[in-house]
Amino acid sequence: MKPLRMLSWPLMALLLLLSPTLFGGSSALYSVCTTIAIFAVMAYGLDLIVSDLGEVSLAHPVFFAVGAYTAAIASTRYGLGPIETLVLSIIVVLGVVGFIAFVTLRLHSFIFSLVTYAVTVVAMTLASNWAFLGGSDGIPGIPAFEVFGYRAVNEAQLWPIAWGLLLVTLILVVAFRRSKMGYAAMTVHLNPALARSSGISPERIRMQVFLASAPITASAGWLYAYQRAYVSADILSPYFLILMLTAVVLVGRRYILAPLAGIAIILFQERFLSYGAYVDRIILGSVLVLVLSFLPGGLVGLFRDLNRRIGRSRQPHAESQTLKT
Amino acid sequence: MNFLQHVINGLVIGHGYALIAIGWTVLLGVARLVNFGHGQMYMLGAFVTWFSMSSLGLSYWVALPIAVLVGALVGFIMQRIMLNLTIRQDLVSVMIATLGFGYILEGVAALTFGSTGQILDTPLSLRDVYWGDLWFTWQDIAVVLVTIAFFIALKLVVEHSSVGRRVRMVAEDPKLALLAGINVKWVYLGVFCFEGAAVALAAGMVAPRTPILTSMGFDEVIITFVVVVLGGIGSVTGSYLAGLGIGIFTAFFGAYVSAAYSTAAMFVLLIALLVLRPNGMTQSMARH
Amino acid sequence: MSISPEYVLQVENLNAEYNGNRALVVEQLGLREKELMGVVGANGAGKSTLVGAILNWSRGAAKVSGRVWLDGEDISSLSTPERVKRGLLLIPESQLIFHNMSVADNLAHHATSKVDGRHIYSLDDVYDLFPNLALRRDNMGWQLSGGERQMLGIARALRMAPRVLLLDEPSIGLAPKLVSAVLETVRQLADNGLTVLLIEQNVHAAIEVVDSMALLDQGHVLAKGSVDEMRGDPRIAEAYLGGEAS
Repeated sequence: MKPLRMLSWPLMALLLLLSPTLFGGSSALYSVCTTIAIFAVMAYGLDLIVSDLGEVSLAHPVFFAVGAYTAAIASTRYGLGPIETLVLSIIVVLGVVGFIAFVTLRLHSFIFSLVTYAVTVVAMTLASNWAFLGGSDGIPGIPAFEVFGYRAVNEAQLWPIAWGLLLVTLILVVAFRRSKMGYAAMTVHLNPALARSSGISPERIRMQVFLASAPITASAGWLYAYQRAYVSADILSPYFLILMLTAVVLVGRRYILAPLAGIAIILFQERFLSYGAYVDRIILGSVLVLVLSFLPGGLVGLFRDLNRRIGRSRQPHAESQTLKT
Repeated sequence: MNFLQHVINGLVIGHGYALIAIGWTVLLGVARLVNFGHGQMYMLGAFVTWFSMSSLGLSYWVALPIAVLVGALVGFIMQRIMLNLTIRQDLVSVMIATLGFGYILEGVAALTFGSTGQILDTPLSLRDVYWGDLWFTWQDIAVVLVTIAFFIALKLVVEHSSVGRRVRMVAEDPKLALLAGINVKWVYLGVFCFEGAAVALAAGMVAPRTPILTSMGFDEVIITFVVVVLGGIGSVTGSYLAGLGIGIFTAFFGAYVSAAYSTAAMFVLLIALLVLRPNGMTQSMARH
Repeated sequence: MSISPEYVLQVENLNAEYNGNRALVVEQLGLREKELMGVVGANGAGKSTLVGAILNWSRGAAKVSGRVWLDGEDISSLSTPERVKRGLLLIPESQLIFHNMSVADNLAHHATSKVDGRHIYSLDDVYDLFPNLALRRDNMGWQLSGGERQMLGIARALRMAPRVLLLDEPSIGLAPKLVSAVLETVRQLADNGLTVLLIEQNVHAAIEVVDSMALLDQGHVLAKGSVDEMRGDPRIAEAYLGGEAS
C-alpha cells in the first residue's frame, strides 16, 4: 500500500491543480475551487485542535481574521507585498495566540472554550467599532496578489496560489501527526493521566498545538483578503466558525483529506443546491448537530457501519443479547 | 445624569443579567453542559414575544408565557437530540452541538421574523416613572421584581422540594442517582427545559430596553459567562450577586467610558480574574 | 436453563467486559427468598462487577450481556432506575452517599406508595435501626465517619423498599468492631425477611452471618453452596487466608 501511496499523492496533487481547467475553466469554477482551498486550509488549523488535541477552540475565526486584516492593512496602508504580509500575519497571530494561551493556561476545557468564544465576540466588537480596523466599512482596495513578477488579476491566476497553500498545509498536518508533538497531543486527548505520568504537560502541549495551528488558519485569512480585495467585520460572523467545525466532523476524524472533503461538500451545497441564505444556515447548523449527535464517526463511520451490518446480515448471528442502560 | 441614576440603571440591568444567566448556570451545575446556543435562545424569546404582540395582536401578558413555553420546548428538543452526548458526558461534542443549534435558531428566526431591527414595546416599558431626578419605566421595576421572585422561588424549590432534591442528587453524582431510582435522562431534559424557559422569560422582560435583532445574542453569552464564573457555577445566590455587580459595572462603564465597549471591558475584567484565580470555578449545583 | 420459581433473583449467562476484557462470566446464580448469600473471592475476582451487572450499572464503561430475573420477571432489558424501582437495591463499595447533602436529605428520598409485598422503611424505622444516624441527622454527608457512611448507605437503600439488597463490601475501611456491627445489622435485616446478596472480601466476618456462599475467581463462580458445605471446602480455606489480611 505504501509505495503505491507514494506514487499517487503527487499525481493526485497535479490532478487537483488541473481540475478546474479540465472541468471547463470558467471563472466561477476557479472561484469556487479557490474558496474551497482557502476554507479547507482554515479548517485544517481547527482540525489539529479538535481532532488531535480533543478540545474546542472557538477562537479560530479570530486567527482567520488576523490573517485577513493584517494582509489588508499592511498592503493598503504600508504597501507591503504578499510574502511580507504573510510573515507579518503569522507574527501577529502568534502574538494573539500567545496571549490567549497565557490567559487560559491553567483552565479546564470548558472554561477554556468559553474564553476562546469570548475572544471571538470581543474581536467582532473591535472590528466593527475601531477605526484602525476600518470600523463597520472595513478595509477596501487590497491590491492584486503579486509575487516575483507573477500577478494574479483574476480567479484563474489566484487558483495555483490557493492550491499551493493547500498543499503546504496538508504536508504540515501530516508532518505534525507524525511528530512527537502530534503524538503527545493524541496522548493528552485520549488519556490525560497517562500523558502526565509520561512527563507530558497537557497545558504546554495545548499551547504548542495552538501555536502550530493558528498560523495555518491565519494564512487562509491572508489569502482570503487577496481573493476578496476587501476585508470587513463580517469575516468574524459565526458562519466561518460553524463552517470550520462542520467540515472537521462531517467526513470523519483524523482522516487527512476529511476537512477538505467536508468543505467541498458544504460549499457544493451552497453554490448548487442553495435554498436561500437563511435556509442554508439552517442546513449547515443541522448537519453539524446531526453528525455530532448520531454519527460520531462522520460519513466514513456511517459507511463502515452500513458495510458491517450488510456483512453481518449475511451470517447467522450467535451474539449474546446486549443490555441497554 | 447623576450618580444615583446610574446606580438605578445598574441595578435594573444587573437584575436582568442575573435572570439571563440563571438558566445557564443551573444547566451547567446540574448536567455539566455548556449551552452555546444560549444567546440565540434569548433572541428567540425576545422575538416570539414581539411577534405575538405585533403580528398576532396578543397582549404582553399572553405573549410572555407563550415565549416561555416556546423556550422550554426548544430546550427540550435540543436536549432530546443531544441526549446520547450528554449521557456519555462527551462535553466537547455537546459544546459544538449547542453552537450548531444556536446557528439553526438564528437562521429560523431570520427566516420567520426578518433581519431588520424591531422595538419590543410593552405596556410597562411605555410607562415612565419620575422620582425626583430619577427616571425609569415600569418595565424596569418589573424586571427587578420578577427576578427577585424567580430567584426566591428557585432557591425554595432547589433546597426544599423533592424535585429539587432529585436535581441536586443528579448534580452531585448521576451514577449514584441512578441507583436511587432516579431517571437521570428526565432530569437532564427537565433542566434544559428550565434553561430554555428561564432565558425566554429574561428576554421577554429585559429585551424591551433596546432594539432587537435576529443577529443579537452573542453579547448575552459573554455576559452570562461572566456572571456564572464570578458567581460560582450552579450557585443561585452567587448568580444574583454577580449579576448585580456586573450590572452596576456596566452602567458606570457605559456612562463614563464607552457604551460600545462595555461587553469587551467585562470580558477583560473576567480575564484578569481568571489569570489571578484560575481555580475558583469548581463548584457544583449541590453547593448552591 | 430456565427460570426456577424458587429463586427471587436469578441470573443466567451474566457476562461483563471492560474494553474487551472479560471481567465476569457467570453461568447461573440464584437467590432464594430471605436468603443471605455471601459472595467471596480475591481482589479483582469480579465481585463488584457481578452486583453492578445485575443492575446494569457501573462507574466504568462495562458492557453487560445475559439475563436477569426478579420474582420471575425478566428484567434484562430494563434500565437501572427501572430495576431499582422494582426493589433491586445496590449499595456500592465507595461513593455510596451524597456528600453534599445532609443525612436527613439523603434519607428523604424514598419509594413512593404502592410497592406490593415490599416493606417501606419509614424514617422512624431507619432511625431506630441506626440511632447514630438519628443523632447526626443534620450533618452533611462529608462530615460522617466511614462507619456512619456505610450505615447511611444501607439506610438509604432501606428507604427504597428493597426486594433484594445488594451490598458491595460494606466492611471496607471499617474497624473490626464496626464490621461486626454492620454485618450483624445485615443479618438482622435478613431475619426480618429481606433477601440479601453480600459481597465481602472479609470471609472471616462474612461466614459468621451468611446462609450460603459463592466463591468467585477471575469472574467465574468456582463453588457455591450452603455455609456449612462451604466451610469444609478447601478453596474457601484458601480464600480465608487471603481474607485474613483485612
